[in-house]
Amino acid sequence: MTNNLPAVSVKGLHKSFGSHEVLKGIDLAAHDGDVISLIGASGSGKSTLLRCIPMLEIPNSGSISVGEAHITPRDGKLSRADERTARAIRRDLGFVFQNFNLWPHRTVLQNVVEAPMIVQRRNKAECRDEAMALLEKVGLSDKADAWPNQLSGGQQQRVAIARALAQKPRALLFDEPTSALDPELVGEVLKVMRDLADEGRTMIIVTHEMGFAREVSSRTIFLHQGLVEEDGTPEQVFGNAHSERCRAFLSGYFDRA
Amino acid sequence: MTSELYLLGFGPEGWGPVLARAGLMTLAVSLSAFLLGTVLGTLTVWGRVSGNPVTRRIAETYVVVLRGIPDLLVIFLFYFGGRQVVSLVGTALGFEGPFDISGFVAGMLAIGLISGAGQSEVLRGAYQAVPKGTLEAGRVVGMSRWQLFRRVTAPQAMVTAIPGMGNQWQSVIKESALVSVTGLVETMRQVSIAAGTTQEHFLFYTAAAVIYLIITTLSDQVFRMLERRSMAGYAGGSH
Repeated sequence: MTNNLPAVSVKGLHKSFGSHEVLKGIDLAAHDGDVISLIGASGSGKSTLLRCIPMLEIPNSGSISVGEAHITPRDGKLSRADERTARAIRRDLGFVFQNFNLWPHRTVLQNVVEAPMIVQRRNKAECRDEAMALLEKVGLSDKADAWPNQLSGGQQQRVAIARALAQKPRALLFDEPTSALDPELVGEVLKVMRDLADEGRTMIIVTHEMGFAREVSSRTIFLHQGLVEEDGTPEQVFGNAHSERCRAFLSGYFDRA
Repeated sequence: MTSELYLLGFGPEGWGPVLARAGLMTLAVSLSAFLLGTVLGTLTVWGRVSGNPVTRRIAETYVVVLRGIPDLLVIFLFYFGGRQVVSLVGTALGFEGPFDISGFVAGMLAIGLISGAGQSEVLRGAYQAVPKGTLEAGRVVGMSRWQLFRRVTAPQAMVTAIPGMGNQWQSVIKESALVSVTGLVETMRQVSIAAGTTQEHFLFYTAAAVIYLIITTLSDQVFRMLERRSMAGYAGGSH
């Protein structure tokens, strides 16, 4: 029964900032193991869509489900009960920000154990061991006691990924994870993400890395002005998109690259 | 005058023990007032940033009023006015008089209220300096408001706030001398008594200055240490 439910499901999502309608009715379902790339021009609403899933932005209407947790905000507000559901949803998702957003007052290891220990109240020693294993996985076990400010952008982002994994999330959400990085540091972050995709993790990735999206994702969605304009396998979207706009967007990309 | 130094000692005629006790009283009233001010200051910041127009109004009015009236007036208001209020309430509840409010409590409330207004300015600046992304990172892992405050906001704001809070603490120590008007035997009150009794005004007021300087200098060391510790992670390469 649970297996048939999508890991993440978004229905009829509308979001406005003031009078500007950014999302105009979006449906999206990510099943366990899906790797979905969200692509589109700046302002197409892809980051806003991603931020609506853990309620970092409160949608004006529509609904969000993560596993069994379901939430239907009204008028961009959360009721007290919604607030509790939102926290349950957030605990079940790992979110990776463009600007890493590590906690600068905590060491690398402390950043990774924070959510499982403080929010999920799990056993301290166990959290620590798991965190060390995760740091190993992202290639940073030697930096466990370093401070975030002592790391390069690529290293910080890898810590942020370990921090998200420490929650044992149902799905991982990435908001342009390589956009704030110097070009030479992009590769190390993409490699970690590729490994996660190979493990069968459920991922939704907002990205401008078209090569990565084409190779790694199982599904690619092109957003245009707050609507899904193209939705299919990477082969289809990158090779033979129905939408004229999608083809124009992609050709602009690959011409530049 | 040198020959009169024995008056400050701990001998049979020395005022040493009572001066030491008075110094501790200054420290006690200052510390309780400062902590009260920290609580009030934090609540004020919360009232200002929480987005509720009513709490914002209350918080802003509090700061404007307390910054705009003389400190001595606030102490009088609490000590003499407070006594009046207490006896009114007490009589209304059917208790027998006479009613009193201690100089310590009045002084602590008054100075705490004054300091709270000052501390709220320091704390507000510190709150605003917390990178918003780190707050989002806390929310997105499912932290409650309280966890977010305790684990993300407060520790980061403290780093920025410590130097300013050090200044606020210095002010509280100096303002605590005003509490002497209530008869509370803290440093200022005690040296006035001693100076009057012995007629050694210069000696005792100098001794008082030394007591205040000892307290402020030691506090300064404590704040410096706190600042150094809290800077871990910000200096880069310090660990």
